[in-house]
Amino acid sequence: MTTDHGETPTATADPGMADLTLDARAAAADVPPELVAGSLGQYLRAWWGRVRGGNSGVLPVVLAIVVVAVSFQIANSKFLSAQNLVNLFEQSTIYMLLAIAEIFALLLGEIDLSVGLVMGLGSVVVAELVQPTGANLPWWVAIILTLLACAAWGAFQGTLVARLKMPSFIVTLGGLLILEGVAIIVLGGSLVGIGNSQYKNELVLYDIFWGTFSPLVSWILLAVLIGAAGTGLWLRDARKRRSGLETPPRSLIALKIVLMAVAGIALVAICNVNRAHFGTIEGVPYIIPIVLVVLAASTVLLQRTRFGRYVYAIGGNPEAARRAGVSLTSVRTWCFVLAALVSGIAGLLFASWQVSLTTNIIKTSNTYVLLAVAAAVIGGTSLFGGRGKTIHGVLGGLVIGGIYNGLYLLGVSSQWIDVVVAAVLLAAAVIDVLSRRGGPQQA
Amino acid sequence: MTADPGETRVGVTDATTVADLTAAPEAAADVPPELVAQSLSQYLRGWWLKVRSGDSGVLPVLLAMVLVAVTFQIITPEHSFLRPSNLVYIFGLSTVYMVLAIAETVVLLLAEIDLSVGAVALIGGVITFKLVQQPGAGWPWWAAILAGLVSCGVFGSLAGMLVARLKIPSFIVTLAGFLLFSGILVVVLGGADGSVNLNTSEFNQRVVYDLVQGVIPPVASWILLAVVVGAVGTAQWLRAARRRRQGLVAPPKSVTAIRIALLALVGVAVVAVCNVNRGTALKTVQGVPWVIPIVLVVLGIWTLVLGRTRFGRYLYAIGGNPEAARRAGVSLVAIRTWAFALCSATAGLGGILLGSFFFGEYSTNTADPGQLVLYTVAAAVIGGVSLFGGRGKALHGVLGGLLIGGIAYGVSLLNLGTLSTPLQYILPGAVLLVAVGIDVLSRRGTGGAHSV
Repeated sequence: MTTDHGETPTATADPGMADLTLDARAAAADVPPELVAGSLGQYLRAWWGRVRGGNSGVLPVVLAIVVVAVSFQIANSKFLSAQNLVNLFEQSTIYMLLAIAEIFALLLGEIDLSVGLVMGLGSVVVAELVQPTGANLPWWVAIILTLLACAAWGAFQGTLVARLKMPSFIVTLGGLLILEGVAIIVLGGSLVGIGNSQYKNELVLYDIFWGTFSPLVSWILLAVLIGAAGTGLWLRDARKRRSGLETPPRSLIALKIVLMAVAGIALVAICNVNRAHFGTIEGVPYIIPIVLVVLAASTVLLQRTRFGRYVYAIGGNPEAARRAGVSLTSVRTWCFVLAALVSGIAGLLFASWQVSLTTNIIKTSNTYVLLAVAAAVIGGTSLFGGRGKTIHGVLGGLVIGGIYNGLYLLGVSSQWIDVVVAAVLLAAAVIDVLSRRGGPQQA
Repeated sequence: MTADPGETRVGVTDATTVADLTAAPEAAADVPPELVAQSLSQYLRGWWLKVRSGDSGVLPVLLAMVLVAVTFQIITPEHSFLRPSNLVYIFGLSTVYMVLAIAETVVLLLAEIDLSVGAVALIGGVITFKLVQQPGAGWPWWAAILAGLVSCGVFGSLAGMLVARLKIPSFIVTLAGFLLFSGILVVVLGGADGSVNLNTSEFNQRVVYDLVQGVIPPVASWILLAVVVGAVGTAQWLRAARRRRQGLVAPPKSVTAIRIALLALVGVAVVAVCNVNRGTALKTVQGVPWVIPIVLVVLGIWTLVLGRTRFGRYLYAIGGNPEAARRAGVSLVAIRTWAFALCSATAGLGGILLGSFFFGEYSTNTADPGQLVLYTVAAAVIGGVSLFGGRGKALHGVLGGLLIGGIAYGVSLLNLGTLSTPLQYILPGAVLLVAVGIDVLSRRGTGGAHSV
């Protein structure tokens, strides 16, 4: 158990003390490469220096993705087939969203163990609300109410953590139990489904996970997306350069845009292969843009707003943040609200994915929290706060999805998959701890 | 917490120490009453002062027990909660939580947590159950139990090493351990619908079965009670007398006498309840279940280890202030690793008791590691063990376990139909939150660093 990260710097003596006496040599390793680099070569050298200094960013998780892909492809040649890859992407979206949710808590140095069951509750609530024999609400009202309910629960947990200073893992552990009970009550002892295509509201929910863009629309969407993101990046960079601010070299921006385009084209090309045994299923699933929107929104929120800077400040050193005038209570509470909100979005996907929900499915939603923590930590988010981005959750979610999918393809039983995921979580935590030790934090 | 003897004063202080260094005003409230009291009334006044300053010891859990007992007695159909048969059932069920809560206390004292106790305990239980199977391994009962406990201890030491050496947060290590052992548990049980059963006609399996299901005959129960109360009472009295002779601080004679009388009273009540025939018209079942003395032995051992050994003092010292303990020469790595190992070994006994409680059947239905660990942490915290380290005793685990067992069984008596399943989740969750809330607020009341 990590000691409380509140206004008690002595409690976190090991990591906290060293920060005050951070020496110059260590600090140099922490400078973003774009601040010192003039050319691409210099940039890459500076980046490599950072990686060696323990600040390796997304490198380990990208390597992990390659290792997972190669080893499962060797074990089973179906792994990298277009059909299985789309399946893998679809499965991974849930891990990705839950990992993004978890990162909001992890960045503060807290943890939210309830994300899995918030997802479970969200899925039951949204399914119940559109039942034609029950509430019979339009799908968009049902979605809004569901997300509000999840956010309200997050506010409750956040208040206990932030105001009463109860340890977050206990609050969310007790919370997930309560949620499990509440979800079973909402479910009403029977099953609830959204698979009836006669009702438009059920159909919309069903299509969240199972619906796809047609191949042509997929390509157009990709072109628009890459065009917009690329132009945005390029213009922003140009503006910064005009204003005399620090910017990465132009070649790097071009490289980033090209990489983005290549990844996008590969993704769309894979999704546009017909993956049905009979008939035609092709095109990009709706959930992929949904995840991208959540990723973009959370990235902007954390990287470009004052709120985001406060989150990192509190995760890095709560006492310093407090003395700088940051309201610990409100930022912490909001992070738990955001975690629950994103978990609620995952709940919409979950309901759509499962089509019909039962008590047993609700119970399994709890195991997702471990996968979410594992995905976030594997992705490069620190368990100790202050380090991580939501893109890490997406990449980590892909690793977890790959492991799950690959083991399943190999016919490994579910309890052994749990064992492997536990081992992966431990390995990620060990790497996190060791990289912190190697890094400048504890020089 | 009733006062610790002087040796463990470090443990009484808060986990975060800023305030303690300048804690002159609060210090008075922290003095054990026996240091200042000469008479019973002075002792009580001193104790009341401590309670009011937030150091309320077992008082809240006792009050909660009374509240739970009265409430369920009123709301259960036919007011059946306090029937002897139900009470003995609750004792049996609670012993699992008691043993696990004592185990968890050891780790909580360090300000760590073990979320894998439930899964590890169940693995220990399955190992023991598998080893006494005949045909099968066919081990003698004592060897099988020992093997179960030792395996758990080894699992615990692995977790302990990851926490102590690599400094990975214990809740992450043990969360992964929980998933790992839950998976292995299903494998060991032989699939999701596998089970291990004890054959009661075979001696070694019968012994394991009887740990909870077996009873001591009524007469023997009374004799045992007399021996236990006599031995503990004499020891307490002699120890107080010796300390007084040597000029050490000791509670007033009347306090010692009252304690012994209370002990005898509780013992007589338990034995009287257990000796009522709780069987059917055809079959008489009466007497104290074996598990009650077994839990008392575990309680006794852990009370001695925590209160009277160097290891116990180190646990409190590290929980109170790890840096201070380290500078005083305590090996943090060794103590932490041992704490996790011993926690898991103790938990293994809880797992064996659980199987015995469910009439010698181990299956994925009777064994839910997730719920078990939550009940365990809730039991320890509600019993008065602090999540922030340095505060708690084995006795707190026992009282908390009884309370949780009472609540769990009380709810199942209510005939709530479809509501009873969700309540099995909601109640422990709510109880855990309330217990931790009280823990946090009471620390604030004692002038800990949290009152910033």
